[in-house]
Amino acid sequence: MHQLLIHFCALLEHNSIIVALSDSVVFYELLELLHFTGFFLLVGTIAILDLRAMGVASRKQGLAALAKQLFPWMWLGLLLTLASGFLMFAGDATDFALASLFRVKLLVIALAFIVGLIMQWNAPRWGRMEAIPFGAKLLAFVSLVLWVGAILAAVEVPAISGVG
Amino acid sequence: MLDFFMSFAKWLQTTWWAVDISSSLWAYPFVQLTHFAGLSLWIGTSFALDLRLVGLGKKDPTGAELARALFVWNWVGFGTAITGGFLLFSAAATKYIPNPAFEIKLGVLIPLALIVHIVVQRKALAWGATREVQIAGRIAGLIEMVLWLCVITAAVSIPSFEIH
Repeated sequence: MHQLLIHFCALLEHNSIIVALSDSVVFYELLELLHFTGFFLLVGTIAILDLRAMGVASRKQGLAALAKQLFPWMWLGLLLTLASGFLMFAGDATDFALASLFRVKLLVIALAFIVGLIMQWNAPRWGRMEAIPFGAKLLAFVSLVLWVGAILAAVEVPAISGVG
Repeated sequence: MLDFFMSFAKWLQTTWWAVDISSSLWAYPFVQLTHFAGLSLWIGTSFALDLRLVGLGKKDPTGAELARALFVWNWVGFGTAITGGFLLFSAAATKYIPNPAFEIKLGVLIPLALIVHIVVQRKALAWGATREVQIAGRIAGLIEMVLWLCVITAAVSIPSFEIH
């Protein structure tokens, strides 16, 4: 499994298109622009929904309508972040794959993503209730903590592992 | 003028917080986390309103309702982002001052985008009073997004303008 991953990473970083793109400063900066814009959109919109579910933001605005308004931008943000992130990863695939903090980052994001899915499925139902259930508030808090954790893991990757 | 800013930057780097940040292994990523978490809230909520004004969002809530719902956390994000940004700047101020990308980001683009943001946020109450947004609001929302994308572009190109 490990061998397969390393083999895949080597293939990726020696791919002629990836090599050409990684050597271009302008292209790398474009990827960074997309990555940052995407995750601002992703984390900003999910954070507002978390805070709304917890009862500390936008209390006059119903959760259901707010969720309908913001979830599409959350998915757009996720798509931009993943697409640009994959190309940034591809240029240094082996180093990233071997950096334990990078794996932690991906794990935290995967967990946050699952929590986000559960929130999206349930937001209309919670929004119709008289009071948002405690479990929903707890889940929203977990989501918030996970996204903060994802950013922390992300900035620790270059700081501690020296990759990126 | 540059001399004045450089002496300010030199002083800033000797302050206790700047010394603490640059001499600690773990403090710098935490300051980065503050900057990025703040930006997520700030850009995420600003773009959510802009996208609604442009007409790409769901019709419910209206632009005005969304502007009100996001107002507080939008500015919490801004406060967090500039606090983190100021601390990051403090730790390496003399490196940032002569950097043209940083100068354009902080001296031109951020003030401009901020003015447009304040106008958009205030006017959204009138432009977005009904489900259909007035044409002025649609244009203003687009302009604001373009300006913040310029800010992020300037930010990610700071490393390539560094003088060694």
